[in-house]
Amino acid sequence: MSTASIVKTRAGKRIDAWRWGGRIFLVMMLLYTAVPMAWMLLTSIKSGFAAMQLPPQWFPNEPTLASYEKLLDPTNSVGQDFLRFFWNSLFVSTTTTMLAVAVAVPAAYAFSRFDFPGRKFLFFAVLLRNMFPAVIFLVPLFILMRLLGLVNTHGSLILTYLTFGLPLAIWLLKGFYDNIPYQLEQAARIDGATRFQAFFLIVMPLSAPGIIATAIYSFIGAWNEYIFAYTFLNKNEQLTLPVGIQRFFSENTTDFPGLMAASFIMSLPVVVLFLLLQRYFVRALTEGAVKH
Amino acid sequence: MTMATGLADAPLEVKARRFGFLRQAWTHRSDYLYVLPAIVVMLIVIAYPIYYTVELSFFNTPPSLQLRDKEFVGIDNYALILRSDVFWRVTANTFIWTLFSTVFAFILGLGSALALNHEFFGRGILRAILIIPWVISAVAASYIWKWIYHSDFGLVGAVLVGLGLAERPPNLIDSVGTVLPSLIVVNVWREFPFAMIMLTAGLQTVPDQLLRAAKVDGANAWQRFWHVTFPHLQGVSTVTILLLAVSNFNSFIIPWIMTGGGPSNASHIWITHIYELAFGRQRWGIASAYSVLLFLILMTLGYFYVRALSGGEKKERVA
Amino acid sequence: MAHVVLENLVKTYGAFTAVNNVSLKVEDGEFVALVGPSGCGKTTTLNLVAGLIPVTSGEIAIGDHVVNDMDPKDRNIAMVFQNYALYPQKSVYKNLAFPLQMRKLPRDEIDRKVREAARVLDMTHLLERKPRELSGGQQQRVALGRALVRDPAVFLMDEPLSNLDAKLRVQMRSEIKRFHQDLKATIIYVTHDQLEAVTMADKMAVMNGGFLQQYDSPAQVFAHPVNMFVASFIGSPAMSLIPLEASTVDGQTVLTGAEGWTMALSPLNARKVQRSTTRKIVLGARHSTIKLAKNASPNAIPAKAYTVEPTGDVTFVQALLSGAVVNISVPPNVAIAPDEQIWLEFDQERIHLFDGATELALKAD
Repeated sequence: MSTASIVKTRAGKRIDAWRWGGRIFLVMMLLYTAVPMAWMLLTSIKSGFAAMQLPPQWFPNEPTLASYEKLLDPTNSVGQDFLRFFWNSLFVSTTTTMLAVAVAVPAAYAFSRFDFPGRKFLFFAVLLRNMFPAVIFLVPLFILMRLLGLVNTHGSLILTYLTFGLPLAIWLLKGFYDNIPYQLEQAARIDGATRFQAFFLIVMPLSAPGIIATAIYSFIGAWNEYIFAYTFLNKNEQLTLPVGIQRFFSENTTDFPGLMAASFIMSLPVVVLFLLLQRYFVRALTEGAVKH
Repeated sequence: MTMATGLADAPLEVKARRFGFLRQAWTHRSDYLYVLPAIVVMLIVIAYPIYYTVELSFFNTPPSLQLRDKEFVGIDNYALILRSDVFWRVTANTFIWTLFSTVFAFILGLGSALALNHEFFGRGILRAILIIPWVISAVAASYIWKWIYHSDFGLVGAVLVGLGLAERPPNLIDSVGTVLPSLIVVNVWREFPFAMIMLTAGLQTVPDQLLRAAKVDGANAWQRFWHVTFPHLQGVSTVTILLLAVSNFNSFIIPWIMTGGGPSNASHIWITHIYELAFGRQRWGIASAYSVLLFLILMTLGYFYVRALSGGEKKERVA
Repeated sequence: MAHVVLENLVKTYGAFTAVNNVSLKVEDGEFVALVGPSGCGKTTTLNLVAGLIPVTSGEIAIGDHVVNDMDPKDRNIAMVFQNYALYPQKSVYKNLAFPLQMRKLPRDEIDRKVREAARVLDMTHLLERKPRELSGGQQQRVALGRALVRDPAVFLMDEPLSNLDAKLRVQMRSEIKRFHQDLKATIIYVTHDQLEAVTMADKMAVMNGGFLQQYDSPAQVFAHPVNMFVASFIGSPAMSLIPLEASTVDGQTVLTGAEGWTMALSPLNARKVQRSTTRKIVLGARHSTIKLAKNASPNAIPAKAYTVEPTGDVTFVQALLSGAVVNISVPPNVAIAPDEQIWLEFDQERIHLFDGATELALKAD
């Protein structure tokens, strides 16, 4: 064996130690993240009786989709309620998302492009909002919603979600606009476009990935929101999923397979949406938050 | 003499500047149209509530929320809060909760980002799986973990008994000593992916050339991380830690759904406590005073937050 | 095509004045280069003409219309940007068609004009490509094409060649010049490269610190720079500027260098110096007007060679004189070593004299 090859193996070993450390760490992180989710899935296909055993059935002896059938069957009262909650969540989240994009796009564009007096102040006012918890606003908002006659309507949720989602949405989008050279708009204006046309025809299409990211962000935020829905809504037919599930299972405290199945169905849309579009989302965070 | 002239000149200058601001604002009037929708929504849903909370905090309010009957009590609400034992208990809980959640979420996120930084088979899938906890709703997460911690049939108990580490399943979230750490585990589970995403993005801005240069200069993996990668991550890390701290400070769902603040306030943090005071016990005035205190603390944090972010803004301007 | 008139044009940003009282007239069909170092206000001036930023005071007229308050789209101008500013999501065809669509031309006419422009610029085969699939030179040509299809009154070009490599730049330079000759187009062209300005423009406007320094044909600017800034900015290598002291010896006006040597002045140059109010005179001389000898002669000034740079067809010699670096060019067959003793003789007909205080060129009358 020559000295060169000895040196080589030594260097190789040192790198391997780092590699192996990283791999072991990743395996542990994988267990930490995946085991609870797997347990949710496994429980959801057990019968109520099979779930309550010690030692547990690691894998159900008799897997059953009974819990899912019950939740998704519109002919029984459980299914009726659950589907109702699902549609409510979908309606509130979709509306919020569309409005958030409509409001955040022009605002982010202005923050990125124009140098009007007070611009900096406004931008930080927007960012500061991000700091404050919903609860601080809850009492007065509740009173405000009563004043506006919005308690027990989806309007109250849409209005609040819109506001609370806007700061980050604007911030994410601004990062995208900052990366689009302003000469493109100048060129468009010289080519005969008005300021608005330059924005709408040239800049908007280029910022599509940012808009998609913003939309996912708003949608997930609205879909998962709990406190406002919990406070503003109390009629059963208007509840969104998080509150609806909580109501339902505080009455049926031992139906863990049902609860796990409901958690799974509630998580499914946002997880799928996110996995499909995650590259836009990660890019938005990179450009909006990190490059600053 | 010179001083007198200086004094006489000052107001003129101020006037000119103010006039300049208005004129500037007027010439840019159309620009405001773009931000107007955002501002209007914010004013309704944010500015008004802040004002209202401050006002309410000086009043004794009837449980009915018939606010015409409220009664001015000065700073009594504040005095009451600061003298109560629960306040200090809850504050300590909030501190432990925020600190440990933030630190662990950041460390696990950083570790994952680094371990996933070089290409290997299945990296994309692994990264996607690690992100999922961040996307699913906190309500679902709370129920999943509540079931895992279940005192009779929970997974954790079963595993501990199976390995012979315990005789019977421990009562993790129903005992004062273990409830807060148990909840922190859940919170970190949901939050470390956020740190991972942010830091992954940050890692992409580390110039390859520098890492190669360091390698040529004989730096080992740790030295490369410490001298090249880490300094590049400082900006992102600051923002990430601040965002994590703020969001942990503002947590509500996990303790609220899993324990409701119990047992005997052991898992109450500020937000759940305020919520219970307001909507559970209808003590609107006291809850508002609590909110104002919280607001003041957050303003301090907010100062650092804005400074970290605006530091970035300045750098961008120069570039 | 149309003429362009700027009158007392001013643009300020707070306390900073980017363009200071600039007045000039661009004749119909003329190629004018705005040239100066970065930050001199040349691009700001162009953006003012384009209407991309509002004027602080003064007047801009294109043709017979004052356009101060017009939108860029109504000024009938076309602009070529340094980074080309091609719409990245549109094909070359759609990039060329965009200005015509904005003017609501019928579709078949758009198609005809786009294809015509593509034919003129020899890029018919590129029409379906996206900008990112093109080379720098091709992108540049598309940007020109987008300006061309519109048939505008004035072409504005903002450093259009500075993102190209050296070889391509020379080629595109002659293409743009050709383009101007064929179209008889009015062109305002911004560049920091004085060589581009000298080689392409009918007239050049030299700017510095927001002020217009000199506005004339390249030949005039080259031969008669109005001040030291213009003298040193135009020409490569730069004109040597040597600070000297004027005095009268035996009734004759002479200049004295820091090393103690003196130079007698011709009657015309002597009159220029006598008319000035200062004794501090700066002598300017281009490299080709200085004669270098290896032996002493009556009018020659002794100096030491500092560096020697052969370029192939000419060799540049730098020497230190009175604290300034003097550039001299000699034929390549003259061999000079660094630190060698040399003698320099200035051509009295072709030297420039500047007031050391005001930096303005001295005048005989």
